[in-house]
Amino acid sequence: MTPEELAAAPSVVRWFDSARLHSDPEEEKQLRLGLLGGFCDHYGQSPDELAAGLTRTTKAGESAISAKRRAAVDAAIDEFVEKSGFTGRDAVVNGNIIRSFLVHNGIFIQGRAWRG
Amino acid sequence: MEFKQVLGNRRSIRYFEPDKPVEKEKIQAMLEAANRASRSGNIDYWKALVVYRDDLDAETLDALRVPTTTADLDLAPVQIYFFADCSYADPANFRKNLKELVTLGALNPSHGWSDAYVDENVVGQIITPMLSDPAVVGWMGTIETGLAIASAMLTCVDEGLGCCLHAVNMETAKQVFKYPDHWIPCWTLLVGYPAEDPQTGGQRPRRSISTMAYMNNLDTPFEEDPAVTEKLKSAGLIQNEIDADKRAAEVRQLARRFGLPE
Repeated sequence: MTPEELAAAPSVVRWFDSARLHSDPEEEKQLRLGLLGGFCDHYGQSPDELAAGLTRTTKAGESAISAKRRAAVDAAIDEFVEKSGFTGRDAVVNGNIIRSFLVHNGIFIQGRAWRG
Repeated sequence: MEFKQVLGNRRSIRYFEPDKPVEKEKIQAMLEAANRASRSGNIDYWKALVVYRDDLDAETLDALRVPTTTADLDLAPVQIYFFADCSYADPANFRKNLKELVTLGALNPSHGWSDAYVDENVVGQIITPMLSDPAVVGWMGTIETGLAIASAMLTCVDEGLGCCLHAVNMETAKQVFKYPDHWIPCWTLLVGYPAEDPQTGGQRPRRSISTMAYMNNLDTPFEEDPAVTEKLKSAGLIQNEIDADKRAAEVRQLARRFGLPE
């Protein structure tokens, strides 16, 4: 997936719209997209597949988050961050940038906080 | 702080100063307030376990996390686990405490109470049948514990702290803290000094009490007197609602400070 394709993916557009990221400095936007793209490569799914894969349809026909899949993605984010060599604050912040993509696509997930 | 100001200032605080120590004396004040909450029969319904985050090892803190409570556990220096202790449900406790309340003039003949009633009738007629239903025991225990928690939370605000009720991984809590099976976990209250504006930019919206309260019959909503509303505003009980744009800016700044998702 090219950077342009990634940025145009509906789930990524939704993320940027919902988090009001469009007015951020270009460098920050590219950092976010780079991290998400890197994680998607690591996880082997496109952003849209990633977001959609974390929900399931209940018997009543409602959408619900899959707790098991969310836990797996959460662990994969930590794994990706570690594999990428991020440590300390960078590890927390960059992991949470990926979680932000999930949050704004309706997946309730929390990362750790950086306490300094 | 004046009482109505305390009531008006209470918010669910989700961003704490993670490394600002919380004085034990303030926690004691919260627990004493919980211990003075209204409680039927003057029975000890609740138990609380106070845990300072930094006294937990990293592995335990990790295991307490759930998807809805992760960052919160990093940020809050204190966790208070509140339980309803169902061992209260012993008729002998009620007999003893009700007799004490009669002796102390809290329950009086003017309202039908006497030693003889407690000794001879109340336990067999009311208490024992009531306590034989586990659903009632749980219902009563958790309601009474909730009253205690509310008093603790208001005292928390009065002490200049912030707090928020959370659910953590209680399977882990059970393994680590080994609380008895007859303790029903109610809430985990996270406590610390607010890193956010303690008023969080304003009060959360509340619907008019006329949509929830009625007067004399259910066809007649309880109508607010505007003069009273103004008085309550002056006293700080009713405050301005949140300015969403200002709040969004604060939340973003807090997220950046703590490295959280924006």
